Amino acid sequence: MNPPTAFRRGALLALCLCATEALADARLEARRHFRNGMSLIEQKNFDEGIAELEAAYAIKPHPSVLYNIARAYQDAGRLDEALDAYKRYLASNPPDATNVQAQVTRLEATRQAAQAEAPEPGAQPGTAGSATGLPMPPPPPTSIQAQQQLATLMERLEKAVARAESMSAQPQAPQQPAATPGPTTVSSSGGGESGDTSGDQGLVPYEERVVTASRRAQSSLEAPNATTVITAEDIRLSGATTLPELLRRVPGADVMAMGVGSANVSLRGFNQRLANKVLVLVDGRTEYQDFLGLTVWAGLPIGLEEIDRIEVIRGPGSALYGANAMLGVINIITQAPGTGRRARFGAMAGGGNTVQGSFVSHGQNGGLRYRASAAYRQEDKWSRDYESGRPDFALQGPADPDLGQRGARANLSTVYTFQEGQAIGVSGGVHRYLTEIYPLGLLRNYYIDGLGAYAKADVELGAVKLKAFWNHLSGDAGPQYEAIGQRSLGIQVASNVFNGEALYARGFELAGEHQVNIGVEGRLKRVAFTYLDDLREEFHAAAFVQDDWRIVQPLRLIVSYRVDRHPLLDKGNPGIAQSPRLSAVFQPIEGHAFRASVATAFREPTFLESYTRLPVPVPGVNGVSLLTTGNRTLRPERLNALELGWRGESPRLGLDWDVALYQNTVKDLIALSPVQSLPAGESYDSGTGSYLLGRSMFTNEAAIYTARGVEAGINVSPIDGLGVKASAAYQHISSDLPDEGQCGTCSQTPAFRLFGGVTYRTRTDLEFGIEAAFTTSTTWVEREPSASDPTRVDLIANNLPAYTVVNARVGYTVVKDFVSVALQGSQLGGGHAEHPFGNRIERRVFANLTVTP
Amino acid sequence: MKRALPFLAFTLASLLSGGCDAPDVVPTADGRQNTRSARIEGNLVVQSRARGNAIVFLYDAANPPPPAGSGRPLAFTVVTAEELFGASLGDTSPGPFTAPFALSLVEPGRYLLRGFIDADTCRSVPQPCHVSDFNPWYSVTAEPNAGDVGGGAVDPLTSATRILEITTDADGWPQPLTGVSVSFADSATVPFDRPAFQTADPREFAASTTPTKLLTLTPQVLTGAVDQRPPGFWVQLADANKDGVPDDANGDGKPDIAWPRVIVRKLAEGVPGYVDDTDHDRDGQPDAVVLAAGLVPDPLLVALLDEQGKPRPQPVFVPQLLVAIRAQALDARDPAAPTPLATVPPGRYSVTLLQSTGQTWRLPNELDPALAEAVGLPGVASQAFVLEVR
Repeated sequence: MNPPTAFRRGALLALCLCATEALADARLEARRHFRNGMSLIEQKNFDEGIAELEAAYAIKPHPSVLYNIARAYQDAGRLDEALDAYKRYLASNPPDATNVQAQVTRLEATRQAAQAEAPEPGAQPGTAGSATGLPMPPPPPTSIQAQQQLATLMERLEKAVARAESMSAQPQAPQQPAATPGPTTVSSSGGGESGDTSGDQGLVPYEERVVTASRRAQSSLEAPNATTVITAEDIRLSGATTLPELLRRVPGADVMAMGVGSANVSLRGFNQRLANKVLVLVDGRTEYQDFLGLTVWAGLPIGLEEIDRIEVIRGPGSALYGANAMLGVINIITQAPGTGRRARFGAMAGGGNTVQGSFVSHGQNGGLRYRASAAYRQEDKWSRDYESGRPDFALQGPADPDLGQRGARANLSTVYTFQEGQAIGVSGGVHRYLTEIYPLGLLRNYYIDGLGAYAKADVELGAVKLKAFWNHLSGDAGPQYEAIGQRSLGIQVASNVFNGEALYARGFELAGEHQVNIGVEGRLKRVAFTYLDDLREEFHAAAFVQDDWRIVQPLRLIVSYRVDRHPLLDKGNPGIAQSPRLSAVFQPIEGHAFRASVATAFREPTFLESYTRLPVPVPGVNGVSLLTTGNRTLRPERLNALELGWRGESPRLGLDWDVALYQNTVKDLIALSPVQSLPAGESYDSGTGSYLLGRSMFTNEAAIYTARGVEAGINVSPIDGLGVKASAAYQHISSDLPDEGQCGTCSQTPAFRLFGGVTYRTRTDLEFGIEAAFTTSTTWVEREPSASDPTRVDLIANNLPAYTVVNARVGYTVVKDFVSVALQGSQLGGGHAEHPFGNRIERRVFANLTVTP
Repeated sequence: MKRALPFLAFTLASLLSGGCDAPDVVPTADGRQNTRSARIEGNLVVQSRARGNAIVFLYDAANPPPPAGSGRPLAFTVVTAEELFGASLGDTSPGPFTAPFALSLVEPGRYLLRGFIDADTCRSVPQPCHVSDFNPWYSVTAEPNAGDVGGGAVDPLTSATRILEITTDADGWPQPLTGVSVSFADSATVPFDRPAFQTADPREFAASTTPTKLLTLTPQVLTGAVDQRPPGFWVQLADANKDGVPDDANGDGKPDIAWPRVIVRKLAEGVPGYVDDTDHDRDGQPDAVVLAAGLVPDPLLVALLDEQGKPRPQPVFVPQLLVAIRAQALDARDPAAPTPLATVPPGRYSVTLLQSTGQTWRLPNELDPALAEAVGLPGVASQAFVLEVR
């Protein structure tokens, strides 16, 4: 770019930035306005305060803000405006509508009474009432029902006030929101971690709330783990078109894109082909595929347009979630049924022959709310490994060698609320998709052409929550390319998981305030996979308990313990895995939380690791195979973690930050052993008609790895018009291996990861977003048949240079609340690969059209 | 809306410029994506009553297998008996039977194909017999035995071995060879077991002081997992021009012994097992150090000549061989023109006996009790013999 061009583009950008009143990160900015407003109201500056609240509401509507506006008007004695605000609040259909309606009725009665007793002209308002200047209290209820409603309301208000006071070390801090009777308990789908509480729908408006860290809704300040929340607004402004792309902003996240639909995501290192140490949930339902031990990101039955937020718990989560939540938990929370527009159509097209169409609809009929969605997407690979028509390799599986991913999906999620605290949710979905995956060892790029389906039911009965779901995956999974003439691998897979769990939550007082969660869970897994020696079935059971104990005002201890029963953990026999966690959260001053945590976590062996019997053809020697076998006596991978963290916020400055230091000790990693010779009598495999070069078996590594790192993330919205997100992570992994050069896991982890993003949103019609993620170089040690003797398997070190991923988006609202368009640039940083065997990633541009009639 | 128009125009232009390109082909670090190779494929044609898997070996034409050379296969493939004989697997019909075969990822070059039916002779022949017992990982199981049916890619008119060449096109892409026929017939049934042998002579050979080391070889009968029952050593006079008159290339007035042949080759040091040393001087250049060796002819001529001193018309079995190993080392990288070395490299040497059928036997081998148990083979003490040159 020559200087004049750069100048012109910079000037154009500046013109755009200055053209209109702008909004920054909506939550931070709304929170800033809200806090300022509440402070002004507390100082009796009602007009200015209410204006601030209105500004907050305009930026990011929150029912509780309307309630607080109504309260402010009421306190100011302006009953007409108060009634209007209450009615606006009621229009949001809050769960406490009955109580608020009673309040409205009383206010209307008060107003009528005041009008009836209006003073003679010239009299001062209020002088006929109390000396405080407030309006007259409402008349006594005239019915038993009304009395009960009032008593209920008062009880709720008192509790809310007490709760809000306990959350703040400074009593003079804005307490008013605590009096909000906003929606706090009604579940969209039942489970505590299942999206029952929208990110800002807690007691305190615009407070960042999470449900994943403790399996219940809480402020992110109270979370015992390092937590990152990606909101729907983040998603929309980011320019990212896939879930893994979004996760690059999470401090400590390793996102390794292999293909357009294939990515491996880990947290705090240990990433690999078939990343298997992070538990991915969608509304509390696992998306971890047990047969291989991976998350098929392109196979998730949801689209970005359906997501309310993503909560990422960095650090061990086995104490609550059990197996596979070893390095963290990613909980994708979809929009609660009935909380969105009646219809939303989306279309996207662009580079790589990308075509996407989506439809989302929300609705409500009495106590029944629903969300229905359908979508289709296809996109070409970034690059192909082989040309067509080669004399040595031929395409297998999908007919179109350019196709990277394709999928059609549909979902329906419903919730029926019987009364407050009692609801039932039923949801289900299906996804027919094709994507790439990259297995282990000598295997390279695979396709999976499958059908995913799920059904889920949530029941909320006050303190008890029940959840059951079924996950299904079936289809073909095999190499995309095979040497012509070489024996083909079997490709069929069918996996079914049935899960049931019950959660009980209760609070009580005993030497402090306790919030106890108790849960039990059972899971049946059935996997038929041509790579396994037979149809396999496992039943897992688990129980957990967590006590969140507020000992004194600023200090809380969170004690968690979970025990999982696994059918193979005791040397091939049923055994248990225990996952304790102890965390302390210290909040000496408002907006600052210091946490310390010690925890353990584990990953259970997958079906592949336990039961595989797979003769893998040796390239170039068609009569020879390398036998890969499972091992039923594997120990689970274990992690012991120490973590210190500081989470803070400065609402007045529009600032959030989080810093974490950790040390993870990992042992018993499961990996393929070196090739071992087989006895002469076992050298011929009659099933494949080939001779077995040897056997490589899944084994527990003897090495112990120590990962130490620091992560820092900051979100700032200092002024209207600008939102900045930045994060940095440093990590070093060492092992007790005598030669550091033998530690492939150490060299495969990037030392530094940096992320920076800027968003800008005008109040009227323009949106800008750009973000960049930098990852330092790595060295991947991978198995490769020897060039001179293909029957010998060598370990080859592949250097992977540092790379930067840049995504950007420009959005324009053509017709407010009706039509918007956007231009998204993906991977603008230029060509690179994120794994030695991955696609050569190239930049692409997409156009987006959204219509919400 | 006015501002939307240029925005939409820009969007459309961006899409039109980049939206429809097919992805480039960019090989990853995977080695196979960065090499260019082709394949050889065709059909096996079997006319035989034997039943078993067909093993097809790919050899470098410049380095053919015994008896023409000492080459080892570059690759091989297996066509299972089920695939080859189909419904006739359970009978003894002679065929012909056909089945496709392929050798994948073959780089440009000149090749020849050999193979055999790894027959289960116990189906039709009373004991002693062989089950299908080929195993490529051990020298003692990697060659055909009596009853196996030989084959190869040959010229259909002359029966001469066919040289198969993978060529490249103008862009450098190798061209596949298709329609190749590999024939097997009962007429090529392997008549004997391999020349398994043993020796009771001392291992030591002080090359600096002893000009010639003599070894007496006797047949070694093996049973069990490795079943070899050599009736003796199949000895044959040289008659290169097939005129019925034995050759006398060295002009000593005695007919030359053509088969069997003896190879004494240096073994690698410091590695497990018995692996040929391909770089004995550690200069990075492959080499093949052998010692000059041959059969002592006089005891054999007694069996090969009749009472009148005339050659017998057929080869004969002899109960033992006397091998003379000279204190002369050669670099045999080019087997046709071995280069004498100034000194005899000390170390361990193997002794290989090569008979006219192309079958071989080598001492030491995996039946060495120190190795056998670990690989599931029966240990035989005599098979641990190694010539130790000082």
